[in-house]
Amino acid sequence: MDIRIENLTKTYGTLNAVDHMNLTIKDGELVGLLGPSGCGKSTTLFMLSGLTTPTEGRIYFGDKDVTNISPEDREIGLVFQNYALYPHMTVEDNITFPLINRRVNKAQAREMALEMAKVVKIDQLMKRKPGELSGGQQQRVAIARALVKKPQVLLLDEPLSNLDAKLRVETREEIRRIQQEVKITTIFVTHDQEEAMSISDRIAVMKEGVLQQYEVPQTMYLNPANVFVSRFLGTPEINSIEVDVKDGEISANGLVLRKGVKLADGHYKAGIRPESFYLDENGVSLSVDSIRMTGRDLLIFSKLGSTPVRVLVHSYIQVAEGDKFGVSVREGHILIFDGQEKLIGRF
Amino acid sequence: MDKKSFKGYLYLLPSIIIMLAFTVYPLIRAIIMSFLGDYSIINHGYSSIGFENYKNLFADPDFAKSLKNTSIYVICVVPASIFLSLVIAVLINSCKRFKALFQTIYFLPYVTSVIAIGIVWRWMFNSNYGLINYFLGLFGIDPVQWLNLPQYAMPALIIFAIWKSMAFNILIFLAGLQTIPEDIYRAARIDSTPRLRVFTRITVPQLAPMIVYSSVIGMIGAFKVYNEVFSLFQGKAGPANSAITIVYYIYDKFYNSYKYGVAAAGSVVLFLIILALTQIQLRVTGEKKKK
Repeated sequence: MDIRIENLTKTYGTLNAVDHMNLTIKDGELVGLLGPSGCGKSTTLFMLSGLTTPTEGRIYFGDKDVTNISPEDREIGLVFQNYALYPHMTVEDNITFPLINRRVNKAQAREMALEMAKVVKIDQLMKRKPGELSGGQQQRVAIARALVKKPQVLLLDEPLSNLDAKLRVETREEIRRIQQEVKITTIFVTHDQEEAMSISDRIAVMKEGVLQQYEVPQTMYLNPANVFVSRFLGTPEINSIEVDVKDGEISANGLVLRKGVKLADGHYKAGIRPESFYLDENGVSLSVDSIRMTGRDLLIFSKLGSTPVRVLVHSYIQVAEGDKFGVSVREGHILIFDGQEKLIGRF
Repeated sequence: MDKKSFKGYLYLLPSIIIMLAFTVYPLIRAIIMSFLGDYSIINHGYSSIGFENYKNLFADPDFAKSLKNTSIYVICVVPASIFLSLVIAVLINSCKRFKALFQTIYFLPYVTSVIAIGIVWRWMFNSNYGLINYFLGLFGIDPVQWLNLPQYAMPALIIFAIWKSMAFNILIFLAGLQTIPEDIYRAARIDSTPRLRVFTRITVPQLAPMIVYSSVIGMIGAFKVYNEVFSLFQGKAGPANSAITIVYYIYDKFYNSYKYGVAAAGSVVLFLIILALTQIQLRVTGEKKKK
C-alpha cells in the first residue's frame, strides 16, 4: 500500500519536532528514516503508527486518510526499539496475542503464529519466555508479533540499536529478507547511515524536523542535496573544504583541483569523499601526517594547504608518516555547494 | 574469624542484641510459658507441666469463636482489599491530573491513628444518624444495627478493615505500576487489546510480585488483627464477644483473666498458623513463577 505524508507537522511547545514533511512511499518499499537523535524521525514513525497525533498535516494509506484513525484500526505492525514483548507470556502467546484480541480462534491463531515464526526462524523457541531469549531472538519475536495480523504497513523503531555489532549486520539482512518475503511496505528508523543505505530502497534523511532528501541510497550518496546529507552519509566522513573558483579553475588554498569547469567565479563550500581521491603523480602533492589501517583500506590524514583532509587508499599501498604523495580527485567527485549549503554541481 | 568479618559482626551486634532481647527471648519464653501451669509461691512450683494449657485453650468456646472470626476476617479482608486496591491503583495511575492529590487521599488511612479512624467509623456505623445507614436508606434499606447486634459486628469490622488496609496496598500497586514499561501498553494498543484484557493479561501479571507481597503481608497482618476490633468497639470485642479475634482473645486472657499460660498457648497456635499459611502461600506462588 502506498503511503503519502502531506505537510506533516508535530509541535511540542515551541519546538517543531517534525516540520511540514512531505513524503510518498511506494507499495512494498523498504524506507529508512535516517537522522541524528532528536531529528524527528521517531516522531514521524509514531505519527504513522497513530500513537502520536500530528499537530498539522495528513497521512494517507493508499487513498484512505488515516490521520484521525486510531492505531488499532490502521492495520499496522509496530516493532518497538526495546521490542516491548509481554515478558510474562511465552513466545507463542506473544505472537498469538494480537490475533486472539481480534477474535481469531485459538487453534487458528496458533497455526498462524507458527507460520510466522517459521518466516522469522524462531519456531523452535515457541515455549520460551522473552527473558530466556537473546536480543536478536527477541527482535524476531517482536517482528513476528507485528506481522502475524497481516498488517498493510510495518514500522520499526531503531530495530538494530539494541544488538551487538556482528548481530546487527546479520539482523539487518534478515529484516530485508523478511520484508521481501512478506512483501510489505516497511518504514524503519535509524541513526546509522550504513544500516540505512545497506537495506533501504529509499532513504529519507531528516534534520531538526525537516526532511533533507528522499532518495535511492546510491543516488543520495553520490548526489547529496546539501552539506548536511553529504556529511551524514559515509564513513570516514566527507572532507569539507573551502574552495575558490576563478576562470574555470577550482582551487583550495591555492592548490588547483580541477580545471575547465563551468561555474561562476567565487568562493564555495566543497565536499570531497576520502575515497574520491586517487594517487596521481601529476596531481596535488600532499604529505602524510598520520595513517590509520582499517583492513581493506588505509586512511591517510593529510593537509590540503591548511585544511585537514582524509584520503582513503588501498591497504597494499606502502606509505609512512612524512612521505609525499600526489593525488587527484575522480571526475565528477568534487561536490560544490552554494551559500545555502545546497548542492549546485559535481565537477 | 578474620579481622574483617569481626568488624562486620561488631556492626551487627547492636541490632542482634536488640533482636535477641525483644524478639527471640520473648518468643522462647512464650513457648516455655505455654507448657507451664500457674506458678504457686507457696509450693514454689507450677500447677502443671505439659499440654494442660492447650487442652484448656481448645476446650474454650471463646477461642473456637476467635479462630472462626479471624479466619472469616482473613478470607474476606485480604482478597477484597487487594482486588479493590488494584482497581483503584490502576484508576489513579491513569489520572493525568491530580494524581498526587488522589495518591495522598488514599494513603491517609495508613498514616492516621487507628483509634481516630475508629471514632469516625463508629459515627459512620451509628444506627440512628450514621452515614452508612443514611445511604442504605436512600435505597429503601432499613437502618442496620451495625455495632449493637452480634450478627452485624463481623461485617462492620470487615468493611472497616478493608477500607483501612487498602491504603498500603494501593501504595504498593502504584509503585509497581510505575515500573511497567509504557511501551508494553503501546504494544497492547497496536495489538488492539480490549481494555479489560489489558488489565487481566498485562497489568495483573506484571504486578504479580506486588500482589504476592501484598497478600502475604496482608494475611499476616490480618491474622494479628486487634487494633481494628479495639477501636471500633471501644475496647470490647463487639456485642457479646461476637467479633472476638485470636489476638484479642490472647490479650483478654493475659490482661483481664491473668491466664498467662493459656494466653501463651494461644499465641503459639497463632504463630504456627501464620507460619504454615505463609509457607503454603510462598510455595504456591513460587511454583507459579517457575511455570
